[in-house]
Amino acid sequence: MKGEKDNKFHAPGTLVLAFIFLGFFIALYFINWVMLSGTWAVR
Amino acid sequence: MNITQESAFRTCSVTGLRVHLPAQKLIITNAVAAVVFLLIGGILALLIALTRWEVVQLLPADLYYRFLSVHGTVMLVFWIVFFEVAGLYFGGTVLLNARLLRPGLGWFAFVLMLAGAVMSTLVTFAGGADIMFTAYVPLKAHPLFYLGVILFAVGALLAVGLFLATVIVAKKEKRYTGSVPLVTYGLIAAAIIAVFTLVSGAIVFVPAFLWSLGIISSFDPGAYRVLFWAFGHPAQQINLSAMVAVWYALATLTTGAKPVNEKLSRFAFLLYILFINLGSVHHLMVDPALSQANRIFNTSYFFYLAVLGSLIHAYSIPAGVEVAQRAKGYAKGLFQWLVKAPWKEPGFAALAVSFVIFGFIGGTSGVIQGMQVNMIAHNTLRIPGHFHATVVGGTTLAFMGLAYYLIPLMTRRQLVGKAWASAQPYIYGVGVTMLSLGMLWSGILGVPRRTYDIAASSAGVAAPAYAGSDVTLAIMGVGAVIAVIGGAIFVGIAVLTLLTGKKMK
Ligand code: HEM
Ligand SMILES: [Cu+2]
Repeated sequence: MKGEKDNKFHAPGTLVLAFIFLGFFIALYFINWVMLSGTWAVR
Repeated sequence: MNITQESAFRTCSVTGLRVHLPAQKLIITNAVAAVVFLLIGGILALLIALTRWEVVQLLPADLYYRFLSVHGTVMLVFWIVFFEVAGLYFGGTVLLNARLLRPGLGWFAFVLMLAGAVMSTLVTFAGGADIMFTAYVPLKAHPLFYLGVILFAVGALLAVGLFLATVIVAKKEKRYTGSVPLVTYGLIAAAIIAVFTLVSGAIVFVPAFLWSLGIISSFDPGAYRVLFWAFGHPAQQINLSAMVAVWYALATLTTGAKPVNEKLSRFAFLLYILFINLGSVHHLMVDPALSQANRIFNTSYFFYLAVLGSLIHAYSIPAGVEVAQRAKGYAKGLFQWLVKAPWKEPGFAALAVSFVIFGFIGGTSGVIQGMQVNMIAHNTLRIPGHFHATVVGGTTLAFMGLAYYLIPLMTRRQLVGKAWASAQPYIYGVGVTMLSLGMLWSGILGVPRRTYDIAASSAGVAAPAYAGSDVTLAIMGVGAVIAVIGGAIFVGIAVLTLLTGKKMK
């Protein structure tokens, strides 16, 4: 048990950054399609 | 002088690292060649960017295509690979406390690379190879262009072999204990990918050379494309692995960070070796030679395993910095560790900016464009927009950051203009960000890449309007000017340090 605890590290800030990145990617992914739909409109 | 003798080493008084002197000379020489090519490529970058900025349109059409061809090769192959060879020799000797096995072979490799690089650059400048980076058959260049690239690739292959042999012998001679440091491990991953890449390069350029000489009558364009991308895409994975290795090095150097889970980081490098080459197929999405199953597997499933490797590094590097900073007492709240990071240290600034541009712009655009919208993004400015975020904002900037430590360590001269070096990554970063976003956005509007005049004014046909591209191309143009200024600051610091830096004891 003790050995396991030694292996743990504490980096909560990085976890938040990872989620910011995830949110950024999701936003970008949708913006991509919205913008492309403007360029390649089906008329 | 017997190069195995202890007298062939010196001990650095600042870092305590032991430096093998014959290796040191080779490291400096390769790095100098790299910087010279960066300078050439940078000047051309400004000229072609100011041509693509439609309202400026600086160059005449023929020079635009010619300089575009030189810019691509000089930057993506010569600058990057010369610097990587310097990095390999550093990681294989200094970081392992080891000697470079055969310095003579290193010099032979260097001469081949330099001769090849100079030859193909001159031929292209002279108008013998206006065929752009990809050199797609049946576009035909002068035979000496292909010969130059082949010489360069053979030289680079020898250098990679020398590095691998050096690492193996260092282990045998017990120059270090345990497994190799993570940075060297990442460089070994890069070197392994490099062997595959450079052999593919030879396989594609040798027949092209013979074809251009007239010895072979034709070269199937489909075969060329498959072979070329067995070189062109893996080459970027060498850059990726080497860049990540440099990130780990910079994090340790500037904050004392250690990998939070070294085994996992090593595993992530392994994922690069195993899977990323298969992603090459994203360049061949409509090539009739490949089966649909091949394309789907390689560009989706296998590609994602390589992306997983990058995500592991993307987590473990900031986490390592956070742990190190918290241990120093910057433990308040979620982000004191980040706020109190050494933002004025050139290496940390380069790491942070390179990391953010690579991840937030390069990585995301690669994942989005590489697959689902591949065909819509194809041949638009979205493509250079993506890779200027990866290979310029990411790799090139990381290498610049490393150079700020490598140059003083190797030349024993104090860095000239440390304050400039601290500001440089930010200036360059702002420039490359604008350049990339301007290109990406233009590409989304449909603006093609490798096109002198998007209005097609001399063609007598109605070109699309690309509404809004006047603004996005201006963002690209202004970004290019800022990025080139940032690049010039780096070159200035490097050259001045080499020539006039104060000698350290
Ligand atoms: C200040 C820095 C830079 C600026 C302003 C810049 C600008 C440009 C521009 C405007 C293009 C032409 C896009 C087109 O018309 O299709 C281009 C192409 C390219 N650049 Fe850069 N670039 C820079 C640095 C780099 C670096 C450092 C590398 C490599 C490490 C690089 C690699 C390439 C490649 C491979 C191409 C494509 C060539 C082709 O289409 O055949 N660039 N760059
Ligand atoms: Cu690729």
